[in-house]
Amino acid sequence: METILLSLQSLGDMSIILAAIIGVAWGIMGGAMPGISPSITMALLLPFTYTMEPSAAIVLLASTYVGAEYGGSVPAILIRTPGTNAAAATVIDGYEMNKQGKAGEALGISLYSGVLGSLFGLVMLVLLSKPLAEVALAFTPPAYFALGVLGLSVIATLSGDSIFKGMAAATLGLMVATIGTDPVTGGNRFTFGSSDLLSGIEPVMVMVGLFAMSELLVQAADRTKGDRVTSRPRISFPNFAMAKRLFVPQTIGASIGTFEGCMPGAGGTIASFMAYNEARRWSPNRDQFGKGAPEGIAAPEAANNAVAETALVPLLSFGIPGSNSTAILLGGFLIHGIVPGPMLFERSGDVVYGLYGGLLVAAVSLLFIGMAMLPICIWMVNRPRPWLSAFIFALIMSGIYSIHNSLFDLSIMMAAGVIGFLMRMLKFPFLPAVLGLVLGYLVESNFRRSLVLSGDDYSIFLTDKVSLGLLVLAAVFIFGSLGKRLVDLLRRPAPAPHTGDSA
Amino acid sequence: MQMSRDLVGGLGTSIIGAVYYYYASQLRVSALDDSFGPSGLPKTYGVIMIVLGLAIAADSLLRARRDRAAGLAAQPQWAGQGQKMLRAAGLLCIGIAYLLLVNWAGYAISIALLLMATALYRGAPPSWRVIAVSVGGAAALWGIFVLLLGVSMPSGLLLPG
Repeated sequence: METILLSLQSLGDMSIILAAIIGVAWGIMGGAMPGISPSITMALLLPFTYTMEPSAAIVLLASTYVGAEYGGSVPAILIRTPGTNAAAATVIDGYEMNKQGKAGEALGISLYSGVLGSLFGLVMLVLLSKPLAEVALAFTPPAYFALGVLGLSVIATLSGDSIFKGMAAATLGLMVATIGTDPVTGGNRFTFGSSDLLSGIEPVMVMVGLFAMSELLVQAADRTKGDRVTSRPRISFPNFAMAKRLFVPQTIGASIGTFEGCMPGAGGTIASFMAYNEARRWSPNRDQFGKGAPEGIAAPEAANNAVAETALVPLLSFGIPGSNSTAILLGGFLIHGIVPGPMLFERSGDVVYGLYGGLLVAAVSLLFIGMAMLPICIWMVNRPRPWLSAFIFALIMSGIYSIHNSLFDLSIMMAAGVIGFLMRMLKFPFLPAVLGLVLGYLVESNFRRSLVLSGDDYSIFLTDKVSLGLLVLAAVFIFGSLGKRLVDLLRRPAPAPHTGDSA
Repeated sequence: MQMSRDLVGGLGTSIIGAVYYYYASQLRVSALDDSFGPSGLPKTYGVIMIVLGLAIAADSLLRARRDRAAGLAAQPQWAGQGQKMLRAAGLLCIGIAYLLLVNWAGYAISIALLLMATALYRGAPPSWRVIAVSVGGAAALWGIFVLLLGVSMPSGLLLPG
């Protein structure tokens, strides 16, 4: 109750309301543009948040995520091209409805379900985050080290199709995190005499490089032309009978979205497809799925919008981002010197309550902004791709420079972009690398602090019960994934040849 | 035999791990350091990276062997990749040119040139419109960053002050 009151109190701050509205609008636009993921849309905003108040900055980024999840459904329905990965499930029935001349109705169902999913997710976020953070308050240095290892192993095993690649990406992030000043002795490491590297490499440069710059490089490499929206639909919301029919799939979607959002590494795409499948399984109209069933839009849209809120649970409670978008949000926290995790609610409670309040505004305003933004989204989707790339490139270069007025930062960002391009080409996932970079300090400082405390006795990691539990869980993830890989190798007659081409 | 992307990725991972390990082992050790020292975890990361790289490479070779045994023809994984990399490198060159130019020409001119070069490079038809949109876009970005956000962008040697 106190949390709700404090969250509502934060709405007295106009900057939070404004940040939520701008974030949703920006998110819808970014999400609506195929190839621009929610994380890229958020990454483009990161440099602008430097000059903002922490609460407003975090609300701006989180609201962008909410808006982008809906925005992705616009091109999914209109041109059969999902604006975001999570909107891929919406294509199936959304585009069919469009072909039947019901584009406005499909967009209305998507928006309405997205708003309900967001509100449900927000309630779950408020209910789950603080109790989990209170559990984590009892953590000691060995437990923090084990938490970092667990976070890395969960993400490394769940991201991408190869556990080895996920772990290699996580290790790469940990390696980059060692550049700069040693967290215990204060000595320099891997700086090669450069004063610019003394303070280490800030995650924001790497994130913008990996997500946004590498996407520009991939688009430059591919040179594909996007489809154009030729219709001019108007959003029409479901009537009472239809709303009643959509209640069950929306509940299924929001519940799956909540569960998947809380699970690091799962994300909106898995939630959307799971919600679609479960909605079909439980629907009396299951024959209509794939032929323009409204439930086929309602379930995945409620799911991916619920994920946009509940994905913040592991971030706020443990400081572990479970998806690319929450990794960018973590960057937003770090920019303002705020470290998400158990102490967040104690030290920066105002930011958390501001975030809750801002997300409420974002979820409600999504309904109105979503309607108002549709013509703008269609206009944006129809813009020539060369100009879209040019302006994104200019925005990245200007934004990153504005952080420290440093051309060196631009070099780091571009280098991260090249690494990201190569990682895409060789099919290495990004998220473990970002998480390794972000958690590197936590892992190393707590590991060494634990050894100092125990007098170099490594058994401290096993005698501390929380640490032992977390390390066992990490081992279960790693060896479970390895075991599954081994079983697949032995059982399957022959795997499908790799033909994917992501770069 | 053509190397698969996974094999290249695995070998690249091991090489990165080895180079990193070499530099980690060169880190100076002080008498004041804790027992694990500043090079302890970096060396561990280096070893893990080498092992993971080898595992990725071995996994790739095993899969290729199984595919051959199952009579599956190897898919060309590198077809057209050289050209793609060159096209991406072209965009990167525009970025590098911006880095070299911005302190000399200043932000406004450089960002206009970046917009123009990127749009043309990405396939915008050359016309007066390209110049107009680039100049207009640069003015808008200058307004946002310099006037609105108060960022001190490079003024350059051409237009000092």
